[in-house]
Amino acid sequence: MSEIFSTAPAIVLFPLASFLIILAFGKWMPLRGALAGIVATGFSLAVSIWVALQMALNGAGPYQETLYEFIAGLEGEGVTLTFGVLFDPLSVLMLIIVSLIAFLVHVFSLGYMNDEGETGLPRYYASLSLFTFSMLAFVVSDNLLMAFVFFELVGLCSYLLIGFWFRRDGPPSAAKKAFLVTRFGDYFFLVGVVAVFAVFGTTAYAGENSFINQAADMVGDGTEYTFLNLSSQQVIDITALLILGGAIGKSAQFPLHTWLPDAMEGPTPVSALIHAATMVAAGVYLVARMYGFYALSPNVLAILALLGGFTALFAATMALVKQELKQVLAYSTISQYGYMMLALGGGGYVAAVFHLTTHAIFKALLFLGAGAVIIAMHHEENMWEMGGLKDKMRVTYLTFLAGSLALAGIFPFAGFWSKDEALFETLEHALGGADVLFVAYGFGLLAVIVTAFYTFRMVFLTFHGEPRTSHAEEPHSIGWNMKFPLVVLGIGSVVAGVLNMGVIKEFIGERNLFLAEWLDGATIGEEYGTEAFALSYGHYGDLLSEYAGYEAATLSPLGPGAIALGLAVVGLGIAWYLYRAPEPEPHMTKLGGARTVLMNNYYQDELQVWLATGVTLPIARGANTFDQGIIDGLVDAAGGVSMYAGERFRKIQTGIVSNYAALLTLGLLLLLVWLGIDGGWWF
Amino acid sequence: MSVPPEYYLILSAAVFAIGVFGILVRRNALMFLMSVELMVNAANINLIAFAFFYGNLTGQVFAMFVIAIAAAEVAIGIGIILLLNRNFDGIDVTEAVTMRW
Repeated sequence: MSEIFSTAPAIVLFPLASFLIILAFGKWMPLRGALAGIVATGFSLAVSIWVALQMALNGAGPYQETLYEFIAGLEGEGVTLTFGVLFDPLSVLMLIIVSLIAFLVHVFSLGYMNDEGETGLPRYYASLSLFTFSMLAFVVSDNLLMAFVFFELVGLCSYLLIGFWFRRDGPPSAAKKAFLVTRFGDYFFLVGVVAVFAVFGTTAYAGENSFINQAADMVGDGTEYTFLNLSSQQVIDITALLILGGAIGKSAQFPLHTWLPDAMEGPTPVSALIHAATMVAAGVYLVARMYGFYALSPNVLAILALLGGFTALFAATMALVKQELKQVLAYSTISQYGYMMLALGGGGYVAAVFHLTTHAIFKALLFLGAGAVIIAMHHEENMWEMGGLKDKMRVTYLTFLAGSLALAGIFPFAGFWSKDEALFETLEHALGGADVLFVAYGFGLLAVIVTAFYTFRMVFLTFHGEPRTSHAEEPHSIGWNMKFPLVVLGIGSVVAGVLNMGVIKEFIGERNLFLAEWLDGATIGEEYGTEAFALSYGHYGDLLSEYAGYEAATLSPLGPGAIALGLAVVGLGIAWYLYRAPEPEPHMTKLGGARTVLMNNYYQDELQVWLATGVTLPIARGANTFDQGIIDGLVDAAGGVSMYAGERFRKIQTGIVSNYAALLTLGLLLLLVWLGIDGGWWF
Repeated sequence: MSVPPEYYLILSAAVFAIGVFGILVRRNALMFLMSVELMVNAANINLIAFAFFYGNLTGQVFAMFVIAIAAAEVAIGIGIILLLNRNFDGIDVTEAVTMRW
């Protein structure tokens, strides 16, 4: 069985190989390196699917292996730092998502980059391959430290790709912002990793001695942890929050979401990759990966749910007034990742992973669709300059519509099933006694209406009505290499809901919730879910009820599902009512001052700039003055005194040999006299 | 009957004192060198006197070493004095003070 898994690390290594090859020979390669990237990600996808099939049908796995130990700990104490792989249902699912999206983005890039005659393509494709490699390696990591290493590499790649057009003004500063804001979150993550090492001595996810199991034991038997007089529960809360910092930064949750809309400066296929699979997904995946740890801490779960719910609504309101196609999508990404965080905080592990999956498909589709529209519109991104594209770009319109229906959460598209499940799980646990989840659920429900509205505002403005500019009347045609990914993802957006039709589980039966069964390890080895691999859905459910006190109320999912669907339809209806006209009015200007606030993103950017220049800078100046004045002053003073004294004392050197000889003789005589007196020669 | 050791010691002390006197009052570098030789040989007299007195050869062997080292020292000393003469047009040791600070 394990021979499957001995070849499985190749999934990660294909993109690394293509990165190295493109880096070295990209200039002379066919399609400037695109082919190597397509082949590598295609192989990764094929092997991932093969591994998944082995796990689904032949019961292979789970599998964990340490591949490389780069620092060996002392015998019996100290920590050992390793690289290893962990193949379990969650990581294999994520491998498929990442390699699928990466593959399609590579294909799409042929149309978006190559056909447009962009320069610097080897650099572009090399970065894409490195990006894919880092994300895949992050996904298969079997310990937190390795995850951190590749988490950072993902951040670096986003910097390289967002700043791809570095000769313009916008992209370099957007790239810097993305890097710095996510780094700010990663700083907490790093401290969290160190804390995990300090408390548990290991960062392995799997194994009987994993930090997750140790943490459960620690809370379970009420061990008091003596560091700073913290109880074991507090230690776990703090560690979980620190690691959450990294997830908030990468998954663009409030208040570290500001980098993501700016990241639209990068090429559109890159946006698709970042938003759907490689970068933003990393944060949610990290929390899902170590969900057993979060399940121990009801406080952190509540924070997670509130943060996610708030972000979902907060970002959705900003998307209401945006005029650029990609900006709307950027805010919708923040909002959708808010739903995933809400689901994780609300105890809906499967819902979060499900939404991660469906969102990857429909958001990649929407971004690629937007890319196709942008190409057709000769790089015009303002929706008010578009209109009437639905007849001229049939394939793009239909697929984009499928993606939009999925995003808005309309039955039976993929987003409906997953978003609904996220909300349902939250409500179920809220009714079960976790009252704070009601607030988060409220945020989530409100966001449904707003999401449906801004999504269809976007669709109507872009594709419906009369063409508003000459570009919209004569759009540039797009090739098969752009249509193919759109069609694949379009089909995915329609059917992906089949994975886990939780809303109608009363009719189809629990056994047919494929994703839940998959994540519970129903198809794979018996050891999944036991101490050695405490990573299964069922195990998380036990932890949630035992430690976090989450009890599921008995509730039919049909009612909440109908509410959410109803709200989505209301949002859609408002959008249809306001923007269906051939020449739609800019209704949002009626909002007046509120619109200005929304256009300026609640002045979050200004706030962060002020925090940097108004708070951090003066503190840094003060610290600098202290360092230069007091610390360096003391050191300089010691040196100065020595120099001054030396200057004076050296004058006693005459340079005349006779003087030295006289002094020597005198010294000898004095010594003799002293010895004489001391030794009693005379007295 | 041999000479008692006190006589050797007195001789040695006298020679050593002459050497010290030479170093303290002379300004000629060659005289310095000679004075140093006197002091070295005063030590040699002591070594040989005690070797004779105790009847073992260690002191004599040491005297041989001292003589060898003194020869080497003279060779270097003469070299220094030669350079002194070249650079300062004379061998007065009180003239050569340019490297003090």
